[in-house]
Amino acid sequence: MPLNASTLWPALLLALAAPCVAHAQATAKTEQVEVRLVSAAATVQPGQSLLVGLQQKIIPHWHTYWVNPGDSGLPTTIAWTLPAGATASPIHWPTPSRYSLGPITNYGYADEVTLPSVVQVPTGLRDGDRFELKAKVDWLVCNDVCIPQNATLSLTLPVGTAATPSGDASLLQQAQARVPQRGEPASWQLDGGKLQLAVPKAAPAHDGAYFFARKWGLVAHAEPQQLQQARLVITPGDNAPKAGDDVDGVLVLLKDGKPVQSLAIGHDPASLTPVPVSAAAPGTAAASAPSADQPSLWLALGLALLGGLILNLMPCVFPVLTIKVLSLLHTAQGSRRVVRLHGLAYLAGVLASFAALAGVLIALKAGGDSVGWGFQFQSPVFVLLVALLMFAVGLSLSGVVNLGGSAAGIGQGLASQPGLRGSFFTGVLATVVATPCTAPFMGVAIGYAVTQPAGVTLAVFLALGLGLALPYLLLCEWPALQRRLPRPGAWMDRLKQALAFPMYASAAWLAWVLARQAGPEALAVALAGAIGLALAAWLYSNTRDLGPRGRHASAAIATLLVVGAVGFGTLGVTGTTNAPQATTAAAHGGWEPYTPERLATLRQEGKPVFVNLTADWCITCLVNERVALSPAHVDDAFRQAGITRLKGDWTRGDERITKLLAEHGRSGVPLYLFYPPGAQAQPQVLPQLLTPDLVLAALKAPASP
Amino acid sequence: MTHFRRQCLLALATAWAFVPFAAHAVATLDQPAPAFTVQGADGKPVSLSAYKGKTVVLEWTNHECPFVRKHYDQSGNIPKLQKEATANGVVWLQVISSYPGSQGHVSGPEALKLNQQRGAAPTAVLLDSDGKVGKAYEARTTPHLYVINAAGNLVYKGGIDSIPSSNASDIPKADNYVKLALADVAANRKVAQANTRPYGCSVKYGD
Repeated sequence: MPLNASTLWPALLLALAAPCVAHAQATAKTEQVEVRLVSAAATVQPGQSLLVGLQQKIIPHWHTYWVNPGDSGLPTTIAWTLPAGATASPIHWPTPSRYSLGPITNYGYADEVTLPSVVQVPTGLRDGDRFELKAKVDWLVCNDVCIPQNATLSLTLPVGTAATPSGDASLLQQAQARVPQRGEPASWQLDGGKLQLAVPKAAPAHDGAYFFARKWGLVAHAEPQQLQQARLVITPGDNAPKAGDDVDGVLVLLKDGKPVQSLAIGHDPASLTPVPVSAAAPGTAAASAPSADQPSLWLALGLALLGGLILNLMPCVFPVLTIKVLSLLHTAQGSRRVVRLHGLAYLAGVLASFAALAGVLIALKAGGDSVGWGFQFQSPVFVLLVALLMFAVGLSLSGVVNLGGSAAGIGQGLASQPGLRGSFFTGVLATVVATPCTAPFMGVAIGYAVTQPAGVTLAVFLALGLGLALPYLLLCEWPALQRRLPRPGAWMDRLKQALAFPMYASAAWLAWVLARQAGPEALAVALAGAIGLALAAWLYSNTRDLGPRGRHASAAIATLLVVGAVGFGTLGVTGTTNAPQATTAAAHGGWEPYTPERLATLRQEGKPVFVNLTADWCITCLVNERVALSPAHVDDAFRQAGITRLKGDWTRGDERITKLLAEHGRSGVPLYLFYPPGAQAQPQVLPQLLTPDLVLAALKAPASP
Repeated sequence: MTHFRRQCLLALATAWAFVPFAAHAVATLDQPAPAFTVQGADGKPVSLSAYKGKTVVLEWTNHECPFVRKHYDQSGNIPKLQKEATANGVVWLQVISSYPGSQGHVSGPEALKLNQQRGAAPTAVLLDSDGKVGKAYEARTTPHLYVINAAGNLVYKGGIDSIPSSNASDIPKADNYVKLALADVAANRKVAQANTRPYGCSVKYGD
C-alpha cells in the first residue's frame, strides 16, 4: 500500500488526536477542536438555575454534529458529574447547519458552537462552598474524514448569594439566541408519499424553509425540501412517520437564502426558555444582558464623580455642606494655608469614609453576602445611630449645645487642631448622610463597582467621594471663589439656626424608617434616646458656669445620658428587628408587593408589568413616588393600559430584590422597570429621576420586538 | 408467443442490469436487491446474481474510518462475524466505495493484504470506486450493512449494532443487528429489526 498523502494524513491526525485530555480542566484542545466548559455566572447561588455550556471552537472546513447528525456522524454527548442534589438538563441544541458531500447530508456546526444546558443547583449549599461541574465530553469532528474525540472537563465555581455574571455570560446569551424558539405542535400529513409540514401562521416573511428532523430516518436528509404555499413538502426517510407519530424538529425559515427564524416544532425539547444569569427558577425574568450593559472602568469612574457632585444637593447632605461653607466664611479671613488644610481634611474625611464603605462592601461580598449601595441603612441599629446623630447636630445648630467647639462658636475653633478634626468628621458626616440617596449616574457606576474586583470597587467609591468633596475643596483651594461669598455677619447665626430644621427633619424621617423596619417599639426607643440626648445637651451647656465639681457632675450625667440613649437604643432596636416587614404601603395605591413568582406569572401571560424597586430610606425613591408615580393622571394611565404595578421594598433588604437589581447591573434602589405586553418583550429601564411625563411616555412607547 | 415473451423478459432484464442505478430505483426492503456486477479485489468480476439461493451480506467499509477500526482493529468484531457467517454458508461481500484519492481507497492487492492483516474473512471484496453500487444501495456510512435473502430480496439495511459510538467497549453491550438478522433469515423468520440507523463515517463518494 503506497504511503500517499490521502492515506497518511488522516492516520497522522488520528495519532495526534489520540492522546486526548486526561486531566479535568475547563479547556481542552485537539488538532481540530478546542472545547471549553463555560458558566454564565461567576458564583453559584443555592437553588438557582445555572446556565452552563460546552463551547467548541472548530478549525475551518471541519464540523461537529447536531442531535440528529443526518446521514452519518455522531452528536456530541456530555456526561455530567455533578455535586449531590444537582441535575443537568439535556443539551438545548442550537439550530444546526447542513453539510452536503455528494449524496450524504449532515446536520451540525462549523467554526464555533456553544451547547447550553441548565444545571439545577441544590438549595442546601452554603456560602464559601465550592461547586464543581465535571463533564465527560465525546464528539465526532469530520471534514471528509472523521475523528472521534473526547475530553474530561471541569469547572469549579464559588457558592455565594450575589448574582455575578461571568465573563462568558454574553457568550451563553448568544448561544441561547441560537436555540430555536418554541413553535407550535407540528401539523403534518402524508400526501402522495410526501411529508407535508404546515408552516406556522405567525411566521415572519419568508421565501424558503428547511426542516431539521430531530429523529434519524424521519426525513431523507439529502433530498431537497420544497415550500408550496404554507406547506413544506419533504421526502420521508427510512422511518417515515405514521399517523399519530410526533414530527419533532427545527423549522428554519429563510428569506433570500438567509435564516430569518428557527422554530422548535412538535415536542422538540430543543428550545430553551431564556435563563438569566441569576435566576432562582427558570423563566423568572426575561433575559437581561448584564455584560453588555456594563460600562467601562473610565466611564464608571466618570459617572461616579458626577454622581458624587450631585449628592451635594441631596436634602440631607446640603445642610452639612452649608455648615462647612459658613465656617469657611470665618476662616476666609485667616491664612490661606489653614483654609486649604480644612479643605483637605474634609476631603480626607470623605475619602476615608468611602474607603471604609468600600472595604465593608468588599468584605461582605467576599463572605458571599449580596449587598448594595445603602446596604448599611438596612440595619436598624445603624438607622437609629444616624437618627440620633442628626438630632444631635440639629441641637448644636439650634445653639442648645456647641459640640466639640468653644463657646465662641464654630468659626473660632476652626483654626485650631480640633477644628481640622472637625473638618475631617464633617466629611465623614456628609458621607454617612449621603448614602441613602442613590443619585442619578451613581446606580450604574456602583452596580458596576460591586461586580468587579476589589481594586476597581475601591476606585469607583473613591471617585464618588472625590465628587462629593469637590465643591468644598474647590472653594478652599480657590481664594477668588471665597471672595464671592457673602460677608460674615449676624445673618450667619440665623441661617445656622434655620439649618437645624433640615437636620431635625432628617432625624424624624430616619425615626419613621426605623419604625417601619423594626416596629413601634423601636420608635419609642429612638424617641426616648432623642429626649435623653436633648437633656444631656441642655445639662451640659447650662452647667458651664458652675464650679469644677458641678461641671464634672453635669458632664458625667450628660455622658451617662448619651451612653444610655445610644446603648439602650441599640439593645432595644436589636431586640425588635424581627418585627414583620411593613407592607401596608406596598398594598396601597394600586401597587402589589413584588415577588419573582408574580412577575414570572404575569410575564408568561404576556401582561404588561411596571416594577418599582424602592426603600424607605431612599429619598430619591420617595420623591419619585410622590411626584411621578402617584399623581391621579399617571395612576389612570396605569389602570387604562392594564399594567400590573409591583413594588419591591428593599428597606430591610430582600434577596429576591437584590437579584433583580443585579440582573440589571444595579446594586441599589431606585430601579424602575417597564415590561411591555408580550411574553418575549424586553424590559425597559427608566431613569432614576422620574417625571410624570417620562413615565407616561414610557408606558406609551411601542413594545420592543 | 412464448419465445417472444422470453425475448422481452431478457431484454427487460438486460435493461435492468444496465440501469439499476437510476434515482430511487434503489434498495427497498422486501424488494429484489439491486443487481450489480463489479470487479473484485482478486481481479475477477463479482455479480450478485451468481449468489442466488444464498444469503448475502453487503458491508460497506473504509479501513481508515475510526468506526470501521472500532469493529476491526480494536475488537475483531466484524472479522469474527464474517467467519461465523461464511461458516454457515452465508456470502459476505465487502464493498469499498471510496473514490480514488479519498480516505479508504485501496487497490485490489492492498485490500486483500489489509484483510489478511486484520484477520478478516469476507467471501469477496468489491472495488466500487465509482460509487455506483454504493449509490444504488444508498450506502451512507462505513460500516453500513445489508442482508439479502436466498430469494434475492433485501431483508435488512442499517447499522452494525444498536450503540452508535466510536468506542469499542460499547460492542458487548450493543444488540448486533446483523447477527440478529442472519439468525432470523436462517430460521425463515421475518427480520425483526429490518431497518436501523447506520452509523459511522460518511462513504467517500467521488462527487
